[in-house]
Amino acid sequence: MASNIEVEPGATKESVLIPSECLENFDHMSSSLEEIKSENNSSVGSTYEESNFVNSNTDNFEDAIDKEENGSTPEYDLGNSTEWTSKNKHIFVLSSAGKPIYSRHGNEDKLAWLFGVMQALVSNIQSSDDTLKSIHAGDTLFVFMNKKPLILVAVSKTGECVNQLTLQLNYVFNQITSMLTLTRLNKIYEQRQNYDLRRLLAGGERLIDHLLDFSEKEPAFFLGAVQCLPLASSVRDSISSAIIGACHKIKNLVFAILLAKNRLITLVRMKKYYLHPSDLHLIFNLVQSSESLKYSQHHWTPFCLPRFDASGFLYAHVSYLADDCQACLLLLTVERDVCDVLSEAKQKIVEKLRRNNCLEPINESIATPEETAVNAGFAEIRHYLYKCKSTAQFYQPSLAPPYSKEKMRLIEIYKRSNQQLHNTARPLKLIFERSANEAIFSWDTTAFELYVVFEPLIDIACAIDFVTKLLNWVKKREDKLFHLNAPTF
Amino acid sequence: MASRKKILLKVVILGESSVGKTSLMNQYVNRKFSNQYKATIGADFLTKEVTIDDRTVTMQIWDTAGQERFQSLGVAFYRGADCCVLVFDVTAPSTFKSLDSWRDEFLIQASPRDPENFPFVLLGNKDDLEPRAISAKRAQQWCQNKNNMPYFETSAKSGSNVEQAFLAIAKNALAQQNSTVDLYNEFPDQIKLTNTQKPSGSGDSCSC
Ligand SMILES: Nc1nc2c(ncn2[C@@H]2O[C@H](COP(=O)(O)OP(=O)(O)OP(=O)(O)O)[C@@H](O)[C@H]2O)c(=O)[nH]1
Ligand SMILES: [Mg+2]
Repeated sequence: MASNIEVEPGATKESVLIPSECLENFDHMSSSLEEIKSENNSSVGSTYEESNFVNSNTDNFEDAIDKEENGSTPEYDLGNSTEWTSKNKHIFVLSSAGKPIYSRHGNEDKLAWLFGVMQALVSNIQSSDDTLKSIHAGDTLFVFMNKKPLILVAVSKTGECVNQLTLQLNYVFNQITSMLTLTRLNKIYEQRQNYDLRRLLAGGERLIDHLLDFSEKEPAFFLGAVQCLPLASSVRDSISSAIIGACHKIKNLVFAILLAKNRLITLVRMKKYYLHPSDLHLIFNLVQSSESLKYSQHHWTPFCLPRFDASGFLYAHVSYLADDCQACLLLLTVERDVCDVLSEAKQKIVEKLRRNNCLEPINESIATPEETAVNAGFAEIRHYLYKCKSTAQFYQPSLAPPYSKEKMRLIEIYKRSNQQLHNTARPLKLIFERSANEAIFSWDTTAFELYVVFEPLIDIACAIDFVTKLLNWVKKREDKLFHLNAPTF
Repeated sequence: MASRKKILLKVVILGESSVGKTSLMNQYVNRKFSNQYKATIGADFLTKEVTIDDRTVTMQIWDTAGQERFQSLGVAFYRGADCCVLVFDVTAPSTFKSLDSWRDEFLIQASPRDPENFPFVLLGNKDDLEPRAISAKRAQQWCQNKNNMPYFETSAKSGSNVEQAFLAIAKNALAQQNSTVDLYNEFPDQIKLTNTQKPSGSGDSCSC
C-alpha cells in the first residue's frame, strides 16, 4: 500500500487551532503542569477484572433493583427503576466526600446512597496508594476518574473503551471548570470539604446534559478536531479581515470566533495565544445549548476555557450576526466590563460583512448540505471522515443511506475504528475490515486520519483506488473545506 | 431553576460493633426492626428526605462498620461530613468508654475546619433493655464536656425517640451547611495575559 502518500489535504504551515494528537495528553490542561508531573510518576493504575470487590457491588445493585420491583424500599430509590436501569450509559459526578453533584439520568438526591458507594470504591483503593481506573463486569464497564476535587464515573454498556469514556468524563470535568474555573473549584473544597456544589452549578446541568449528547453524536469529539463551514477562501479571508478591522484596537481581546451550524467559519486570535479544539468544543456546546441566545441581542457571560487557562475567566460577548444571518459571533476578552465596546465592534463587523457581501455566502453555505460521497462521484463510498492532524480540522460528507436514519450506528463504527487505530497496547496504522453490513477502511498517518465506510462487497484493490481518488478530491477542495489561514489581531 | 436550592447532608454514624447503628437506620428509614445481628461490612448507604422549617433536605446516611477490621476504611468515609452521630449501647459499658476514641479518630481523619464546633449527636441505644449500665446522667455529663453535644436515648426496637434524634441530627447538619459563606464572590478570577503561557503542544510559533 502506498504509505508515502504526498497528498495531505488541509495541511498548512500555521494552524488556526492547536493540533491535537488523538487521545494522548488529552486530559492535560495547560495550567496543570504539577498534575502532569505527578501523573507521570504514578502511572501504575489498576484494572479490576471481576474481583470480589466488584461482585459485592453488582450484587447490591441487583439487590436494589429487586427490592424496588417488589414494592419500593425508599433507600434504594432508583427513580423510575426499569427506565433508569435500562439506560445504556450513566454518568455521575461527585465530590471527594461522596456528595452527589450530577447524574445524567434520574434524581441525584434519590441516588445519594449510590454516590456513597462510588466514593467508597474509589477511596478504598486510594487508601492502598493505588488508583481505581475501571471495573469490567460482563458487558458493563465502570470507568472512574479521580480528578481532584471531584470524582467522575461512567457506567456503560455501549462498547466504548476506557479511553473513550475517560475522554468523555474529562469533557464533563472541563465543562464544570468552564463555569467555575479550576482555581475556584479547588478553593471551595479547600475551605469546605462538605460543600454541595449543586448550589453553584444550578442551571449548569443543562450544559452538561447537552455536552454528553453532543459528544456522543459528533465525530469532532473523538477526533479532537473541528469541522469548518465550507466557504471560498476569499470569502473566509474577507470575513477575518472584517473582524480584525473592527477589533484590532480593542485591548485584551483574545479570541473572536464566528460559527454556524456547529461549524467554524473563522477564528481570529491574539498573537501568541492559541485555542485548543477541546475548548472550542465547549464553546460550540455553549452556543448550541443556549437557544435563548437567538432571541436576545447579545449575551455577556464569564466562561473559563480550561485548556487555555483553567485558573481564570474569559468574558464572552455572544451574539448572532443578524436576523437574516444565523451565524454566531463570540468575542472573548479578559476584561470584565467591556460589553459595550464589544457590542459596538460587533455592529461594525456586521456592517462590513454586509458591505462586502459576505452574509449571502455564509447563508448559502448554511443552507446547502455537504455533498454525499456518492454525489461527489464515489459510488462505493457511503461515508467518510477525514481529519488533518496539523490543523485539527476534519471534513465529512452528508449522511447517505443506509445511515441517514442510523447515525448512531455509523458513529459507533467510527468510534470503534478510532479505538482500534489508537489502542494504547497495540496501535495500528491501517485496517481494512469487512462485515455483512459494510467494509471499513481506517488509516492513520503522520499527517491525517481517514475512515472510509464502503459497500460491503468492495474488493481491496478497488477500495485503495477510491481512497487515493478521495484524498485528491479533498485536496482539490481544501481551500474551501478547511480554514487554512491563522489570522491574528 | 435556581429557585429551589437543593441541599444534601452527609451524616456519618459511628460506634462499637453491635450497638445498633444499622438497626437505628433501618428503623428510621424503613420502620423495620430485626433481632438478627448482621455485622455491617465496610459501610452501608441510605438516603432519606426530611423537611426542616419548610425546607426539604436529603440526608445521605453513612452507616459504618463498628468491627475493628474495617476501621482503616474510616479515613475515606469521614471526609466532608456535615454531622457525626456517635452511638453506644446503654447496657454495655465498654461501648460508652470507647466514645472518646471514636470522636477523636473522627476529628483527626475528617479534619473539619472548625473542630470545636463540628456538630456531633450522641445516641444511647437499646433503651428498652435491662439492666442499664450507663445512666442518662452520666451520658449527659460526658456531653457537657463536649461543647454540649445533644443526647438522645433511643430504641431501634420500639422506635422510641428515633425520629426525634434524626431530626436533631438533620438540624445540626443543616446549621453546619448554612454557615457556608457565599463562596462565589470571594475570588477575583481575571486572567492576567502576561502570565498566560503559550500552551505546550502548539506546534507553530512563527507568528510571535
Ligand atoms: N433490644 C434491642 N436490640 C437492639 C436494638 N438495636 C439493635 N439491637 C440488636 O443489636 C444487634 C446489633 O445491631 P446492629 O444494628 O446490627 O449493630 P451495628 O451497630 O450496626 O453493628 P456493626 O454493623 O457490626 O457495627 C442486633 O441483633 C439488633 O437486633 C435496640 O434498640 N433494642
Ligand atoms: Mg451495622
